[in-house]
Amino acid sequence: MHILLRGRDIDNIKALDVYEAHGGFAGMKKALAMTPAEVIDIVKASGLRGRGGAGFPTGVKWSFIPEQEPVKFVTVNADESETGTFKDREIMEENPYQLIEGSLICAYAIQAKAVYIYLRGEFWDIGDQLDACIESLREKGYAGENIMGSGYDCEVYTHLGAGAYICGEESALLNSLEGYLGQPRVRPPFPAQKGGGLYKEATVVNNVETLANVPFILSEGADAFKAIGTEQSTGNKIYCVSGHVKRPGNYELPMGTTFRELLYEQAGGPLHEERPFKAMLPSGGSGPIVPLTDDVLDTPMSYEDCANIGTIIGSASIIIMDETVDMTWVASKVTKFFKHESCGKCTPCREGTYWLDKVIDRILDGRGTPDDVKRIADVAENMAGTTLCALGDFAANPIIHTIRHFPDDFAQHVGPQVGSGESMK
Amino acid sequence: MTDMVTINVDGKDYQVAAGSNLVDAAKWHADNDIPVFCYHPKMEPVGMCRMCLVELGTPVRDRATGEVALNEDGSPQIRYFPKLQTACTTTVSDGMHIKTNTKEVIDARNDVLEFLLSSHPLDCPICDKGGECPLQNLTMRHGPQSSRMYFEDKQLLEKHYPLGDLIFLDRERCIQCARCVRFQDEVVGDDVLAFHERGRRLQIITNSEPGFDTYFSGNTTDICPVGALTTTDFRFGARPWELNEVPSISPWDAAGENISLSMRLDRDFGGRALIKRVMPRQNEGVNEIWISDKTRFGHHFTRSEDRLGQPLMKTGGVMRESNWSAVMPALAGALRDADGDVAAIAGSGMSNEDLWELRQLVEGLGGSRLGAWMPTHGGAAAVAQVGVGFGTNLGQLGRGDAILVIACDLEEEVPIWRLRLKQAQDRGAYLVVANARHTRLEDFALEGARNDKVVEGDAIRFGAGEAVSTLQDLSADHREIAERLSSAENLVIVAGAEGLTLSGSKALAQAAANFLIETGHVGRRNNGLLSPLPGANGMGQHYLGFSPEATLDIMAKPPKVLLVAQAELLDDDPSARGWLSQIETIIYANFFDDGISELADYVLPIQSFAERDGSFVNGERRVQRFYTAQGPIGLSLPAWKLFGGIRQALGAGPLKPSAAAVMQDLSANIPEFEGISYRALAQVKREFPDVGGRDQYYGGTAYANTGGLGIQIPARADARKPRTKKVGSDGALAPAEGDVAIMPITRLYNRQRNFRPTLIVEPRILAPFAIINAADGVAWEIAEGDIVEILAGEAQWQVRAALSDDIAPGAVALPRYLTDEAIPMTVTTGSIRKVAEAVALADR
Amino acid sequence: MAIIDNPKYTERINQHLAKYETKRSAVMPLLYIAQEEYGWVNQAGINEVAELLNLDPTQVKSIAGFYTMYSEKPKGQYWLQVCTDLPCALKGADEFHAWLKEELGVEEGGTTADGMFTVEHVMCLAACDKAPMLQCNFRYVEDLDQDKMRDLLARWRAEAGQSPNGRGQE
Ligand SMILES: Cc1cc2nc3c(=O)[nH]c(=O)nc-3n(C[C@H](O)[C@H](O)[C@H](O)COP(=O)(O)O)c2cc1C
Ligand code: SF4
Ligand code: FES
Repeated sequence: MHILLRGRDIDNIKALDVYEAHGGFAGMKKALAMTPAEVIDIVKASGLRGRGGAGFPTGVKWSFIPEQEPVKFVTVNADESETGTFKDREIMEENPYQLIEGSLICAYAIQAKAVYIYLRGEFWDIGDQLDACIESLREKGYAGENIMGSGYDCEVYTHLGAGAYICGEESALLNSLEGYLGQPRVRPPFPAQKGGGLYKEATVVNNVETLANVPFILSEGADAFKAIGTEQSTGNKIYCVSGHVKRPGNYELPMGTTFRELLYEQAGGPLHEERPFKAMLPSGGSGPIVPLTDDVLDTPMSYEDCANIGTIIGSASIIIMDETVDMTWVASKVTKFFKHESCGKCTPCREGTYWLDKVIDRILDGRGTPDDVKRIADVAENMAGTTLCALGDFAANPIIHTIRHFPDDFAQHVGPQVGSGESMK
Repeated sequence: MTDMVTINVDGKDYQVAAGSNLVDAAKWHADNDIPVFCYHPKMEPVGMCRMCLVELGTPVRDRATGEVALNEDGSPQIRYFPKLQTACTTTVSDGMHIKTNTKEVIDARNDVLEFLLSSHPLDCPICDKGGECPLQNLTMRHGPQSSRMYFEDKQLLEKHYPLGDLIFLDRERCIQCARCVRFQDEVVGDDVLAFHERGRRLQIITNSEPGFDTYFSGNTTDICPVGALTTTDFRFGARPWELNEVPSISPWDAAGENISLSMRLDRDFGGRALIKRVMPRQNEGVNEIWISDKTRFGHHFTRSEDRLGQPLMKTGGVMRESNWSAVMPALAGALRDADGDVAAIAGSGMSNEDLWELRQLVEGLGGSRLGAWMPTHGGAAAVAQVGVGFGTNLGQLGRGDAILVIACDLEEEVPIWRLRLKQAQDRGAYLVVANARHTRLEDFALEGARNDKVVEGDAIRFGAGEAVSTLQDLSADHREIAERLSSAENLVIVAGAEGLTLSGSKALAQAAANFLIETGHVGRRNNGLLSPLPGANGMGQHYLGFSPEATLDIMAKPPKVLLVAQAELLDDDPSARGWLSQIETIIYANFFDDGISELADYVLPIQSFAERDGSFVNGERRVQRFYTAQGPIGLSLPAWKLFGGIRQALGAGPLKPSAAAVMQDLSANIPEFEGISYRALAQVKREFPDVGGRDQYYGGTAYANTGGLGIQIPARADARKPRTKKVGSDGALAPAEGDVAIMPITRLYNRQRNFRPTLIVEPRILAPFAIINAADGVAWEIAEGDIVEILAGEAQWQVRAALSDDIAPGAVALPRYLTDEAIPMTVTTGSIRKVAEAVALADR
Repeated sequence: MAIIDNPKYTERINQHLAKYETKRSAVMPLLYIAQEEYGWVNQAGINEVAELLNLDPTQVKSIAGFYTMYSEKPKGQYWLQVCTDLPCALKGADEFHAWLKEELGVEEGGTTADGMFTVEHVMCLAACDKAPMLQCNFRYVEDLDQDKMRDLLARWRAEAGQSPNGRGQE
């Protein structure tokens, strides 16, 4: 059953009347009949965790918003820029009202003045569609002033980014929305605190998929949601599968489904029968890579189980590589991504990504030495844990973990005598 | 009394002020220099460079009781963050523990330096910052022995990128700490610098027109932690370790910025010491660690080839070079022959010591008229009365306080005051700017003026000549503003003279004094009056008895013998030639000959602030001393020595041996100076933040104050409750039908004689213009850029018209010192007409 | 034309200005409008956006430089951005990108001599299951191969002049 990708089950659910005919805005109605605190409690009880990557409990996040603050905001993180992620896009393209309803429920729960949906710049068609949706909701009295006669007012707006992965990081997103460079902010204060959010007001930042779950939780109840998934990872999750599988695409499955089920049953197994899987990046470019061993394949896709195999489920952008893929090249690809996307604000990430990229190029060119492999591992270690935002940690992962799991892939490029190896001093 | 909390640094407890920044607290209280690049104590922390990483822990508290959990030995349990934390973004809290000397911290510092050096050029030996470079120093202390980055992998970037006429950027040296960007944004409020691109391509740019052109740009070169920003003036000029620092005081305006003159023996100056650069010297109560670009770059006149080096004496109608032994007796004779009809006019750049000797000379001869030049500002007496209270520090104004700035343009007149008042407003003070035209400060006063910052402020526009009535009628016409000013905890009024006659500015100062007295804002710290008196020693002139009124009297009834010192009469006053030619003997002492030799009988070389000891009284009534930095030009003398020498020649006793001795005499005779001596003026104390010490990375290269913080003269209201006085005539003008009020205005960068030798600023000096109300322009058929002719009495000027909605109708603002022809000293009436279309002006 | 006082944009500009709590927030949408008008973010566009928002042009330039979707250089009429990030590359995007450059005879980031096409590679566009793909003037074209691309190029050549560069209001 799809909770999120309902466009696959119901024809034209992106039309408001169809959405309503299939239970749309029932959750919102229920929410409006409750106190904001009760809404937060239900979301807490559902166990819903953020789908943007970090998996932070959503209800708890909402409860951080200080009630007494007169002005509060919701920002929807629709920046979807993690390598290999394309789930929020499908939700917004095919089931847009559900996202907006979820955002409005969140807004009501924290008594926000407005919702800003921050879309990555390339999603401008989606932005136009959302704008049209918002307009029809306003006309119906479902958004704007006095929503559904409840006396609660909340505007919904879209905002387009313009090509910067870092704007998916919540504080960079807020800066970008305020018209500043999309560079992360120092925390504390956190977005949920006065001084840390949008226009310095307390703000909830949630991922599209997170919020799209909320109408279901309200209309069907927390227990119905908790019944899906595992103890600590409740509900469905959309897994974005790409790379060397037969049927790449989005798969909405309960959390806790195994990788094997996803990759073989759903995605059809290896793209080329004769080339078995070699490795997987389960959380796009940013999470640690793992070899696709049987143990890994049998691991349930949940926050807790992925930790046991030394990686994260994150945003569940699962990139599959078969045996033909050179992991040095993968490390280079991902490093180039982070080098391109580093905002430049903090030293280790700005300098580290540039430096790593240069040395990997050298290795791939056949000019590297075994020392260079040690060097990049060391540089990556030095980046990890010292940067202002998590991008620096993300950028260290592909180096550290590809070298750890696939040392031979590096060794083949750096014969012991290859390369000049002279450093500047 | 601030609340104190206890923090533990490397195992030792320290009491520190609650709410303070961890880097500041560790430095101030624990003498622990946590290395920083991006953090600067004068700006908001941003946590960018990651140099300040420390191990940080806080006490474990029992959830229920809030009690600190204890270890078995009774010590508090500390929970450390799993990752290192940036000290610069941490506020101290009670019981906080930090470790700055563990392996993890040391490694992290090493790593950050390695990262920074991975793209930094290793050109220290040829870098202007070499020797006082934070990156260099920190690398010596914490850095890797060698870089593991491949040399050929380094990015090659522009080395000499001009951000403006005055500042160059070396893009390879920049470490992206954003100090310059944040300084311009947070401190100055002209956000003309920014980052461009991102990642390793992140670069400092300006895209403003014209470029990085603010009056404070030089400060960025001090706070830049590497040699990426350099001034056009000093680039490649010298190595910091060759320089000898001499404490001094800016000679330009009433702020009295504390400066340090970096001296070096120079081939281009006959092997003698000359000023290679001017640096800020910390004085938190005066200029903090900032100086204006005029102060920084305006020093070139001190060694100008046009400086007078020889005494000139007219014999037989011909001016000839002479020497002191010939001139002194002649001067004495001429003065004696005056039969007491002697008067003096002294410029506002003269030191107290000069003024005192000059006064004694005139009075000793039976003269009594001591004129202050220029006779434009009448506010000094009121400042002496109800000036800002003893201990005032503009840096302390903030929430709950208010500032009224009326009839002046502080950006152009006293830039550091404008900087500090803008910052006071950022801290929450309510700023009101009232004038007959738009000024830069007004931008800050208006809500949401820039960057959507919510600010507390208002602006009042009044008609030409209406400053006094505006202030007097404030409660009636601007009730809300008046109420907010009246009810402010602290109130400072800055009352100037723009658009006013001398008596008008005096009346305005009195009206301001009355307002302050009536609302209870006198006799207290951070309350009272300021006046942007021109020159560095306007208040000194007042205290030593030199008045603008006396000047007007001298102009009206010229004496037989007139002594003129450090006053450019011909440059300043269009009518000067007329009244000067009625004088029998003119004795003129100055740095330059402004054409006066034609009229004068003696033209005598005196020394500038750089060549001698002396003291000034700034607008906040702080007496501050400056020290001898460079040798004399030719035979020039300090003015006090010249006048003392004449007195000696007249038999008035021995010449004082030093400026210090003159001050001793002065302070024994002038009550306001009681207790002031050179030794007292030289006293310093540790100031927060600690800049200029061994770690230039913290505050930048502003120098610590070793020359003295100066002593503030109490305002009379500090001791005695002042009473309001009747406001005199505001000298209001009544322009005849069809005439306009011509308001001389000040531009910081101009063609004044002492500033002209600073050639690097030349491109920034505007062509002469006049600001005309846009509606008036339509009525008078004058368009933007047209050449207009302005006539006032005998004088006339042809300038370019600049139309503006932001000037009162009927007023024409005419900047001084942009043209060669003097502009009236104070407001006057005259006429205006178009003489040529805009196109004809080409590019003058 | 300019964007200020251009009836084509007035309504959109006002909408954006109304949407946010501060003027500054509208800098990104307004830069898109400037890009639409001029084909790239030129100095005139920057100055106008600065004027509309009461910002210093330096601030606007800074924003334009940070984000990759604002072009600070003129582009061809069709701005082709091929995703060559890891998931697409696993499906041959690098080869596709190389082929496309060769087909059009341009270097990375270059524009064809007729000013028609600019080709560059970009990072993940959230279309990884439909690789190879590209965006043309910010519109996705997915599941590409050389034949499809040749057809498209031919079609675009034929349509030349009709498609605005940058985000249009079609
Ligand atoms: C470098 C970086 C990029 C991120 N990109 C995204 C993104 O594209 N979309 C997203 O929803 N969250 C992204 N996140 C996570 C957000 O910062 C934030 O945790 C999330 O939006 C919170 O929403 P959630 O609690 O609903 O997951 C990113 C985080 C980092 C550090
Ligand atoms: S880690 Fe990278 S992206 Fe994050 S603040 Fe630092 S430079 Fe910017
Ligand atoms: S990060 Fe703390 S000083 Fe730069």
